[in-house]
Amino acid sequence: MEQPAVKKILYTNDQIQARVSELGRQISSDYEGKELILVSVLKGSLYFIADLSRAITTPIKIDMISIGVYSTTDQTGIVKISKDLDLDIKDKHVLIIEDTIRTGLTIGYLVQNLQTRQPKSVKVCSLLVNPMQQLIELPIAYTGFITSAEQVAGYGADIKDKWRNLPFIAEI
Amino acid sequence: MPVITISRQTGSFGDEIAQSLSEKLGFELMTRERILTDFFHNAATKNDLYMLKVSAKYYNNKSITGITFLEHLKQSLVKYSSEKSVIMVGFGSSLIFSGMRDAIHIRLIADKDIRVDRIRKRFRVTLPEALEIVELSDRKHKKFVSTVFGVNLADDNLYDIIINTSRMDPIEGAAAIYSLFNERLRMLSLERSAEPNGTLITQEKPAPLKNASEAEFAKILDMYQIEWKYEPRTFPIEWDAEGNISLAFTPDFYLTNFNTYIELTTMNQKYITKKNKKMKKLKELYPGINIKIVNKKDFNNLIQRFKISKGEE
Repeated sequence: MEQPAVKKILYTNDQIQARVSELGRQISSDYEGKELILVSVLKGSLYFIADLSRAITTPIKIDMISIGVYSTTDQTGIVKISKDLDLDIKDKHVLIIEDTIRTGLTIGYLVQNLQTRQPKSVKVCSLLVNPMQQLIELPIAYTGFITSAEQVAGYGADIKDKWRNLPFIAEI
Repeated sequence: MPVITISRQTGSFGDEIAQSLSEKLGFELMTRERILTDFFHNAATKNDLYMLKVSAKYYNNKSITGITFLEHLKQSLVKYSSEKSVIMVGFGSSLIFSGMRDAIHIRLIADKDIRVDRIRKRFRVTLPEALEIVELSDRKHKKFVSTVFGVNLADDNLYDIIINTSRMDPIEGAAAIYSLFNERLRMLSLERSAEPNGTLITQEKPAPLKNASEAEFAKILDMYQIEWKYEPRTFPIEWDAEGNISLAFTPDFYLTNFNTYIELTTMNQKYITKKNKKMKKLKELYPGINIKIVNKKDFNNLIQRFKISKGEE
């Protein structure tokens, strides 16, 4: 059976759970009395939103969004939403949940897109952020861990769509 | 709309130059009489109007609209000039339109003996009478601006340009202002076509992408619908002893919605070292600017990752 070539375990399951609980407390406090919608970016943030949403003690709604690349006639591509939100976010507070932010291009695209729907606010929560690779300034309000690792997998993060189900986050 | 204000010493050809400019540019010439007739009708009684004609202090009294006559005048003139281009002579007009980007402020001066001689000829008076007219007029102008605005009329900082008309005729004076005015219009037009503002050089036309890496990077930004501009700004980073720019840095891309500049360094190492030094200086001199450098490895990873992940990060 194929095994991941783990260089190093960056964060164990216990470390992840502890940090997710902290983020949950912080988000619960910041959004107390506000109508909050968590938007999970598929598929990487699946495990993260499952744990984070249960660590948040204030009422929330959850929705999911997915981004895909489509070919255009001139042999280039265009990034589009392949699964859109079901909820109307107008006048609501939105928190985008990501597993990893590297260049920030995907999140940049999403923030721009969601802002056109007139939410009360759009902020970003990412379990991992790699500032060395980040190209654009983003409203990252909540960061789980800052990493400089280039290729990571586990707890939702993938390499070529594999190893999402590792219970820890590892550099591959 | 553009505004030209002219402060002038008596006998410096102020009125003649204003008239000539008004004809050349097609701007309305705003005179003291016109102001008193047309800009106080909602705010001043007959008695107020008389007092405004004879007393500088009266401008700081409250009008029936609840604000001072000066404030009323400022608001009315600024509003009027938003719809119509005007040339305003005297009246502390450089202070009324102070801070307006579209306004240029001119001060006309001339040698006192020459001014006296001009007044002598114009009003056909004796030399002593002409001298008295000039001196009285200088004192009154100074007192009006000092009383109404609390500043010294002769303060150079109130003006964009001060022209000595001693050896000029009105046509030459008007031509000098006309030239400055056209250049100012051109610069404002450039500034408005670029953002954000600052102490940076703007370019007239966007430059074409220089190489394949830049084209590839632009393509990726387009894919993510990230709005970008190519080399929209040049940052001066070194100056010589005379204050001329000796070294400048122009980042490749500006991501308009994220206020971020991107510099691609996909060439060989010796250029990268030089570029890193420039980047360091830029960050020191412009701490509020977000700039990211994308080296060859980052760039290749980006291309590779995009191909692998098909958009997911």
